[in-house]
Amino acid sequence: MSLENLVGISLEKVTPSKQTVSRLLEAASRHISDAKVEQVSMETRFGSAYTAIRMLADAGLHAHGYRTLASRPGHHQTAIQTLSHTFGLESAALIRLDALRRQRNVAEYEGDTVPRSALVECIRQAEVLSAVATNWLKANRPDLH
Amino acid sequence: MKATKADVASVLFPAIYRRQVLVLLLLHPGRKLHVREISRLTGTTAGTMNKELTRLHEAGLLDRERVGNQVHYSANRSHPIYPELAGILRKTVGIADVLIEAIAPIVDEVELSFIYGSVARGSETAGSDVDLLVVGSVDFGAAVDALHGVEKRLGREVNPKVYTQREWNSKRKAGDSFVTEILKGPKILLVGEIDEPRKPGRNKS
Repeated sequence: MSLENLVGISLEKVTPSKQTVSRLLEAASRHISDAKVEQVSMETRFGSAYTAIRMLADAGLHAHGYRTLASRPGHHQTAIQTLSHTFGLESAALIRLDALRRQRNVAEYEGDTVPRSALVECIRQAEVLSAVATNWLKANRPDLH
Repeated sequence: MKATKADVASVLFPAIYRRQVLVLLLLHPGRKLHVREISRLTGTTAGTMNKELTRLHEAGLLDRERVGNQVHYSANRSHPIYPELAGILRKTVGIADVLIEAIAPIVDEVELSFIYGSVARGSETAGSDVDLLVVGSVDFGAAVDALHGVEKRLGREVNPKVYTQREWNSKRKAGDSFVTEILKGPKILLVGEIDEPRKPGRNKS
């Protein structure tokens, strides 16, 4: 699978811009900070950290000239799976990110509570991904960073 | 070695090949397999498996059907003990067996673990995840890593809920609706006991 093969199926082409990449990266950072606010529920904090992961994945796609077709089911899954192509993530990391996506689904759509363990992992993964994204952009697309 | 439900399975079904073939056919009703397929899936020789299948057929637990030059076996769902036997298998050697094996590397950090939701109720559909509760000091990522390897084998995704002992106890005490609901519903126990978590109070984190 390449990103180009997914065009029309789960991705569409866009023209990368520095503004969009910066906006996504900054929004992801704010979401990571929000996820650490102790005064709100685990579910809200988890949702915030998960959103940061998704935004970072979207930033990766954007930097390569793509975005997910949000109208298609599974666009979160697509954004996460493409991280191996965009930022070169190993499959071990994708397994954990995908598990977090599933936790988010049951929390969001079935009202499950989110255990602290899932929140801790979600914040950790979001922070790692944020650093990976920044380093990748510096090394590969300094014009977008 | 921790006492688990898998021990019940080996007491009830000491013949491992018989156990495997029962899981293969009774937990996948509607599945028709020929001898060579069954022996390949269970890692036995066709000769050994043939004997096993003949006995199970003679006992009425399996249906036999000749298709061309092959003999196909399937679960006899109209056998009087089929529902109970399938239930016992589901709760012992089926999914539980595979999951117990998967969590073995992290089991020292697990006080309590059980399957809940549609798989435990026996109402799972082709796309259902296995909902797994894990209480202990294990971290979420480590639990995911341990379980990921068996998803292909189960043909299902495994979705763990990982609570620390303290978090679990306080939710129970507070009457949290999610926790109350899964405690009330059907469960397949893998590790520990529901009412007395193993080594209570050890995990203070």
